[in-house]
Amino acid sequence: MPDQLKYGMDHEYWDWSPIVKRPVLQWPNGARLAVCLLVDLGHYEWKPPEGAFDPPTHTPPHSLNPYPDYVTVTFREYGHRVGIFRIMEVLDKYQVKATVPMDAYTADNYPSLVLECQSRGWEIIGHGLTQRQAITSLMSEAEERQYIRLSIDAVSRATGKPPAGWLGPEHSQSTRTPNILAEMGINYCCDFPNDEQPYRVMTASGELYALPCMIEIGDTVGHFNRKVTIQRWVQMVKETFDVMYQDAKESGLLLEFRLHPWCIGQPYRIKYLDEIIAHMAHRHGVWMATGSEIVDWYRKQPHASFKPQLPPATA
Amino acid sequence: MISLEQRIGYLPLNNRPRIKWPHDARVAFWVVPNVEFYEYLPPPTPRQARHFDSPVFPAPDIQGNIRRDYGNRVGFWRMAKVLDQYRIRCTVNINLAVLERFPEERDAMVERNWDFCCHAMYNSRDEPKGLSVEAQRAFVRECIASLKRTTGKQLKGFNVLSRATVELPDILAEQGLIYHADYLHDDQPTPIRVNKGKLVSIPYAGETNDSPITSRNRAWESDYLFEMVKDAFDRLYAEGADNGMVLCLALHPWCSGYPYRINYLERILDYVMSHDKVWQATADDIAEYYIANYYDEAVAHMDKLASRQPPTARLQR
Repeated sequence: MPDQLKYGMDHEYWDWSPIVKRPVLQWPNGARLAVCLLVDLGHYEWKPPEGAFDPPTHTPPHSLNPYPDYVTVTFREYGHRVGIFRIMEVLDKYQVKATVPMDAYTADNYPSLVLECQSRGWEIIGHGLTQRQAITSLMSEAEERQYIRLSIDAVSRATGKPPAGWLGPEHSQSTRTPNILAEMGINYCCDFPNDEQPYRVMTASGELYALPCMIEIGDTVGHFNRKVTIQRWVQMVKETFDVMYQDAKESGLLLEFRLHPWCIGQPYRIKYLDEIIAHMAHRHGVWMATGSEIVDWYRKQPHASFKPQLPPATA
Repeated sequence: MISLEQRIGYLPLNNRPRIKWPHDARVAFWVVPNVEFYEYLPPPTPRQARHFDSPVFPAPDIQGNIRRDYGNRVGFWRMAKVLDQYRIRCTVNINLAVLERFPEERDAMVERNWDFCCHAMYNSRDEPKGLSVEAQRAFVRECIASLKRTTGKQLKGFNVLSRATVELPDILAEQGLIYHADYLHDDQPTPIRVNKGKLVSIPYAGETNDSPITSRNRAWESDYLFEMVKDAFDRLYAEGADNGMVLCLALHPWCSGYPYRINYLERILDYVMSHDKVWQATADDIAEYYIANYYDEAVAHMDKLASRQPPTARLQR
């Protein structure tokens, strides 16, 4: 027990680094707060293949419908058919670009959605094969490599270039995932919900950054799953923005959160997205940016190469 | 061994010695940040399978465990600022691995002269549950030694909630600990019967606690937590005029340190601390005061009540 303990994290992917002990982070044009919207285009299949890891967020007790689950599957499909266009309308109105985690199934089967995103300058990033096939330590390394390769290749085929970013289905990872992502040319990963600034992820194979996601204010985590009313959720998101905007006076912060077209794109919810974006966009000191815009700037800042020094261990 | 029923006995609120807090305070207010360490790769335990409201992925569990990492990197520091504003002396429910691994966070707590209550080594393990009695003894000894080594402080109490064992109270008392904060059965300190020594229950908070609000089963947010704590405080403050009460506020840096929740923590502290008959104390303070003034009387009273043999209704098989 205690004799095995030492200063720092219990793994090698990132350093222990309390936010108050880091250099000041500057954003371009003197901005204080970078805001990144992740608009998920993930597909829910009727039946995941044998051996796939269907995330526990989709399996009982979180969803109780036996196969074929018309209710859940068609409700998610609504996002690709209807909801996404309502989100596009709102973001177009405020001239905000989204970052779109897109899984292989969507990239292969919905080319018109790919074009709609691209025509707006939205950034498409990797998001696994489908949402009912997550990454897990239960996979073999070969299986995981193939999984990530196929996911990246599908986005490359659909968009004409390899994705720079990644979000796993339900943030899922194995112990190998950051290494494999870096090796396959991914620059940034949105899986980790543990910070309000980007940080460098140490991998065996390449330059990878974490763009941490504020998981609790996502539309599904913050509102839909928890049954918090939509009005209260809007207030939560605005409060998050207000507090971070205030705190970012001293050093730049990143507010990144997830939106799901099947959820926020519903007719009874979309006006609340408008309210949120109106609250954030065109504010002085706010930089509404895509993942790549953020990471391309971040990697050249001293903050990115800062190595926290641990004080000497006490006797 | 003393049975679980006998451990807490029965001491109804309307028939027990009345408590007077120092300086005529009506409510002893203890504030308990749970400063936790969730391992990247915890050993598999039965406890993981039981989570309904936060689904558990095979390790590394990014949504579960890595999300808690936010507390130590960001949330703690935002929360500490607000606690400082009201000069709160916290009782930290500490996963000792934090003290061993995160020196800046350890120093920030020691500088503030906060007290520490043992919340086991890691939040991602079951210990002490599942250990033999001898191993539990060793575990408690290790925890005492770890706190001493990292902070110079003497450990006085334990809070491990669902990880507590049947034997734990005896082991705590025999190793010189004075309180156990795993009981939600009262609004006052009460004696816990142990083989040897004196052990006090310091009431912990199941609901005046920020973390249940992140669960899928709770459709409310921090504004409601504020209402709940305010209502609890108002009631206890009224009752405390002739019988001192305890209010516990349990916090988690990954929860209340989140940007949209921090202002509600400020509102809670602002409300409670604006009253003059509040004893803002640590669990160490409350337990010591209770042992010095009420423990023996309460035990004697509990014994008297227990001496009346109840009729037993038992199914014949």
